[in-house]
Amino acid sequence: MTEAARDIRATAARTVYLDHGATSWPKPQPVVQAVREAVEFYGGNPGRGAYELALATARLIHDARRTCAALLGVRDPSDLAFVSGATEALNIALKGLLAPGDRVVACSMEHNAVVRPLNVLAAQGVDVVWVDADSTGLMDADEVEAAVRRAPTRAVVCQHASNVTGTIQPVGDLADVAHASGAWMIVDGAQAAGHLDIDVAALGADVYAVSGHKGLLGPQGVGLLCLSEACEPRDLVQGGTGGGASELPTQPTARPDRYEAGTPNTPGIAGAGAAAAFVAEHGHAQHGLERELVARLHEGVLALPGFRVLGSPPREPRVPVLSVVHERVDADQLAFLLDKRYGIAARAGLHCAPAAHRTLGTLATGALRFGIGWGNTAEHVDLAVQALAEAAG
Amino acid sequence: MTPRELREFVVYGFETTHAALDAEDLLKAGGVSVVPIPAPRALGVSCGIAMRVSPEETAAAERILTEGRVDWASRAVMHDV
Repeated sequence: MTEAARDIRATAARTVYLDHGATSWPKPQPVVQAVREAVEFYGGNPGRGAYELALATARLIHDARRTCAALLGVRDPSDLAFVSGATEALNIALKGLLAPGDRVVACSMEHNAVVRPLNVLAAQGVDVVWVDADSTGLMDADEVEAAVRRAPTRAVVCQHASNVTGTIQPVGDLADVAHASGAWMIVDGAQAAGHLDIDVAALGADVYAVSGHKGLLGPQGVGLLCLSEACEPRDLVQGGTGGGASELPTQPTARPDRYEAGTPNTPGIAGAGAAAAFVAEHGHAQHGLERELVARLHEGVLALPGFRVLGSPPREPRVPVLSVVHERVDADQLAFLLDKRYGIAARAGLHCAPAAHRTLGTLATGALRFGIGWGNTAEHVDLAVQALAEAAG
Repeated sequence: MTPRELREFVVYGFETTHAALDAEDLLKAGGVSVVPIPAPRALGVSCGIAMRVSPEETAAAERILTEGRVDWASRAVMHDV
């Protein structure tokens, strides 16, 4: 083991990890094992040869795709493409579906993974209409419907769950609104996948973007682009897709190859497949635990003087994300004290979601965000409450 | 020296690796002897993995693939060497 590895191992051992909204850690052992085995043994380039090693790797990815599709309610696994992350999936959706002159209705709680591509498109002549959430971060389907009906609209974009407030948005209702006007429904599922039971087909999402490394518990570097049959974004990246399709002068349109140019991230996809299998087996129990832990944290924080929590009251539906603000002590100071004194990992700032903080009135202050997930316990949550009390005391 | 007998096979090509492996799984589950092979140039545009089936089993193979809604992009009769 290198000296750097010894150092990070010691740091990891003393960390109370409460930043699952950013990325999940630790990973379940089956995920670690799948990634390690992929690096160590699955040496062939999947789809680039028919010798045994390449076939085995292609089968590994094939199985991972099926497992992920089954977890998310994607009926045909070929409608699920492995990309680098939810950010890439959202870029493909937005830039691949919208063109100058189109109109899109988006929600004010969106992450920069949606806001920034939309700002690029706006500069190119796409009409982007923002609809505000209420003070708890919740979107009103009636307001979205009113915005959609004002003019022909190509797409509605909304997160499934907020990375700031944990708010679960009514994306099924929004999909109905979109489809009633002939628009596509694009959903950012980065904070929802792995934390909620998801059935992409039942939700009516035409695009559902998933991060592999957050609630899904996989490694970084993999995201899932889930498409309905009706929705065919242009490919943003062109390149090799393997085998005999090489003689095509342009990117093939068959799924999933259209969105998977270049050599796949085999270790990452192997990890995502193992993670999806793990979540399928343990997710239901984990969801109950997460709900309980986030409510415990929420109630604990509200009992402290000077603190408030963004979003809805305790025990209302939310994914296990909780952002807190103190009336006097800055969020970054709290995060620093929690880390240095207690080894608690939590994230201060705007969480790549300035639009959401603007909606919530916390753009100037930011907030300290706790993200609860696999491996967390009541002791972790109680320590966080105690640490906040002492840090702000 | 006895001339080597050339065996005949039917080879199916697919648009994507995913479809090729779907086909392999379906055919194996259906009891068809299938061998994944590098896609021959004769198949034209297809993914790099083709599925080789004996002529006696092609009817069963095509029924299984059709029922399983896995389309083959190309089909060719090939001779082993």
